[in-house]
Amino acid sequence: MTNTPDDMIVAKNVDKYFGELHALKDVSATVKRGEVVVIVGPSGSGKSTFLRTLNQLEEIDSGSLMIDGTDMYARDTNINKLREHVGMVFQSFNLFPHKTALENVKLAPLKVSGRAEAEVHESAKELMYKVGLAERMDNYPSQLSGGQQQRVAIARALAMKPSIMLFDEPTSALDPEMVGEVLDVMKGLANEGMTMVVVTHEMGFAREVADRVLFMEEGALLVDKKPDAFFDNPDHPRLKQFLSKVL
Amino acid sequence: MHSKQRAWFWNAVFFAVIIGIGCSVYLAGKRIDYTWRWDRVTPFIINTDPISISAERNGTVEINADQSQITLIPDSGEESFVITEFTETLVSDGDLVFEGDTLAELHGWRIGPIVEGLIVTIEISLYSLLIALALGLLIGLMRISANPAARKLAIVYIEVIRGTPLLVQIFIMYFFIGTVLELERFTSGVVALSVFTAAYVAEIIRAGIQSIPDGQMEAARSLGMSYPKAMIYVILPQAFKRTLPPLAGQFINLIKDSSLVSVISITDLTKAGREVVSGSFAPFEVWFTVALLYLLLTGILSWSIQRLEKRLSASD
Ligand SMILES: Nc1ncnc2c1ncn2[C@@H]1O[C@H](COP(=O)(O)OP(=O)(O)OP(=O)(O)O)[C@@H](O)[C@H]1O
Ligand SMILES: [Mg+2]
Repeated sequence: MTNTPDDMIVAKNVDKYFGELHALKDVSATVKRGEVVVIVGPSGSGKSTFLRTLNQLEEIDSGSLMIDGTDMYARDTNINKLREHVGMVFQSFNLFPHKTALENVKLAPLKVSGRAEAEVHESAKELMYKVGLAERMDNYPSQLSGGQQQRVAIARALAMKPSIMLFDEPTSALDPEMVGEVLDVMKGLANEGMTMVVVTHEMGFAREVADRVLFMEEGALLVDKKPDAFFDNPDHPRLKQFLSKVL
Repeated sequence: MHSKQRAWFWNAVFFAVIIGIGCSVYLAGKRIDYTWRWDRVTPFIINTDPISISAERNGTVEINADQSQITLIPDSGEESFVITEFTETLVSDGDLVFEGDTLAELHGWRIGPIVEGLIVTIEISLYSLLIALALGLLIGLMRISANPAARKLAIVYIEVIRGTPLLVQIFIMYFFIGTVLELERFTSGVVALSVFTAAYVAEIIRAGIQSIPDGQMEAARSLGMSYPKAMIYVILPQAFKRTLPPLAGQFINLIKDSSLVSVISITDLTKAGREVVSGSFAPFEVWFTVALLYLLLTGILSWSIQRLEKRLSASD
């Protein structure tokens, strides 16, 4: 089992404990360049935990993680450098409330990458335009709706020009009428060939956009299939049970 | 309408109570047969008494034509004394004078000891405030650090400083540490106040940082920011805004606590007050004046912090 250059994420036998709790049990998965992988599963099954190991917001206890050819736990790996290539979007947006939308997008390119102000300003404006918020650039997060905040958060992550984007239930905190606008931005990204790992309860999105769907339960990765097979022929009994509840 | 009437009533009560307190203070003064002499206090605030300029030797006075210079030529043949700063001449050209005679008077005003004390209090408070803020930030960051050495040092510092009286710390700082390191009185005072206030500032800053949701640090880190960068650009600006009200309170305490340095003979506002009381025989007036000046300082500080708070609230 060797890695090809197209393997963006390779997780092998990942284990994670929170004290006594075995949160990830021997999880192995591969995500190829340009793939969109959706993770579903009941609450508390370890979806967020797994996603957060992919940019080391959670450290793993055993196993290995390769991100775009870099071993995350190698001695000479600079985790801050690695994180620049892995954008993350959170359920609760986590925008910086003391900065305007545009400043949120500009902060990391300026302070982390040290790019020039003029260039960062232009590309940040382009990103705001891309997520449909050209008009709201100078608003503070508190002056934006949930859907708008989440789109700013996506633009903020994209500003670092990541090669992988992680989404942790990006629409779960939104009013139903705002879910569509965020999913549309995500679909656009997928069409551009962005490598994406998405934890979501939006089964429609999974079916339409995903290349593969993963099912987790109690810390274990039980199913890894193409959407058609995943939704139409669920052969795993736990998955059947789960789908009968959510669909 | 009803609630408006009630507000009127209670406002009237408020003024009645204030006036009542004022009257009782006045009557209490009367009862103990105290004559209020505010005029005795003013020279200690701003001194308008003329300064007399006296002759240093026996000799002859020469005044030049435009009255701008008095020259005293000593009989002893020593070098002559030239006086140029004066307002009124009390001698004429050619007068013979004896040592100690008044030659001229200088009018104008000088700051009195109370204002000098006030300036010392402002200086001590300002230096201590800046040092306490920097030191408190450092200790606060150590307090929440993942490094056990840093964290435990911070805890020991905070517990020791908060568990002992400031007055005792000032004595230790002056008599022990000050002697070992050969510190000036003023420096000892500033260091003691800074070290004391920093312990409280550290706890305020720690609480402020911990009140920022974890998601902020996670978002910053996931963008590739190092821990220090995330602190500087994301966490601290938000925490600072939240800690302004408690910090203001702490710095008001600092101004008031600075009165304790008078025990190591620093002539701050309080010590000046004590000295002036014995010179003016007007203890009530002096202490009321001193209290009013402290109130003025703390008032200005709390007003400026409120303004800063307003300015920072643009993003709310
Ligand atoms: N920091 C933590 N400390 C202790 N336990 C944790 C921590 N984070 C998560 N857990 C536990 O790990 C398990 C997996 O949590 P996780 O958040 O990954 O679930 P999830 O699949 O994302 O659920 P949800 O759909 O509710 O978001 C849960 O039992 C959770 O309580
Ligand atoms: Mg989750």
